Amino acid sequence: MEWAIASASFLASAVEFVEAFTIVLVVGITINWRSSLVGAFAAAATLAVIIGTLGVALVKWVPLGDLRLFVGIILILFGLKWLKKAILRYSGLKALHDEEAIFEETMAEVRARGGTIAPRVHPFGVALSYKAVLLEGLEVAFIVITFGSSIQSAAGNGNGIGSAAIGAAVAGVLVITAGVLVKAPLTKVPENTLKFVVGVMLTSFGTFWAAEGFNYNWPLTDAFIPILAVIFLAASYLLVLFLKQQKRRQLAASKAQVMEEVRP
Amino acid sequence: MKTLKAIYNFIVGDMIILVGILIIAIVLGLIANIGALAPLRVAIGPILIVAALATLSATLYREARGKR
Repeated sequence: MEWAIASASFLASAVEFVEAFTIVLVVGITINWRSSLVGAFAAAATLAVIIGTLGVALVKWVPLGDLRLFVGIILILFGLKWLKKAILRYSGLKALHDEEAIFEETMAEVRARGGTIAPRVHPFGVALSYKAVLLEGLEVAFIVITFGSSIQSAAGNGNGIGSAAIGAAVAGVLVITAGVLVKAPLTKVPENTLKFVVGVMLTSFGTFWAAEGFNYNWPLTDAFIPILAVIFLAASYLLVLFLKQQKRRQLAASKAQVMEEVRP
Repeated sequence: MKTLKAIYNFIVGDMIILVGILIIAIVLGLIANIGALAPLRVAIGPILIVAALATLSATLYREARGKR
């Protein structure tokens, strides 16, 4: 057991697991757990096939940069779509009580009557979960292979890849355990707030990965993702304020118009 | 056509967001691959952040105007 390589692999993999698990968690809470888990397990199966087929040659054959770019762009598109809806709801330009809310209410009514509705598999949720787990899983595989191979080639013997794999596996178990623990408190957050946060997170992850796909090196590397989230959150807050102000102006203008029309 | 529309609605469902992000992806692709634009490579991250926010603002502005 190479402790140095296991520790390095543990730390690097933990970051990737947190990124993947965050998306699986938010898809589970905001869409449904069936879709989230179907996506995550499908990605795990794809990963198993890729790793089983390519083995250590994975580093040579999988274009991680292109994959980051593709997933990043798709996540930005998904994220902006969610963020737009959430901002419109917060600013009052879109009713909070839309068709999704009606569907949720109907489900709640059926549940209250003692009935059950099997949660349907939502393609959007499956795709989100699948892409995040596949990309981050590949990154973990790259970490294990590159860290493990470096110590093996430096020492000429030893089980570098095995140690790196143990480090990564421990990180995975710890992150999943921590995620299960925070799941319950997260379900108490109002749904629109959660969707707003999901929009911010998807856009942040997407921006981070897409820029990396263009070979851009972010300052602080993965630690820059929370900074991106703060930037998008602050900008969204300003947009909500701007749209609320616009709405007030429009209301005032239409009131004045009505008053003028009814004046004899 | 129906399939294309379904994919479009599934992924984004908003033309401003789609066009905005595709344009910036092309621009960043040029910056990343053309030697003459190499000095701009250090700004890929900030450009992407600004472009995403500009796209979001543009689509929200259109929605706000549409509600008038």
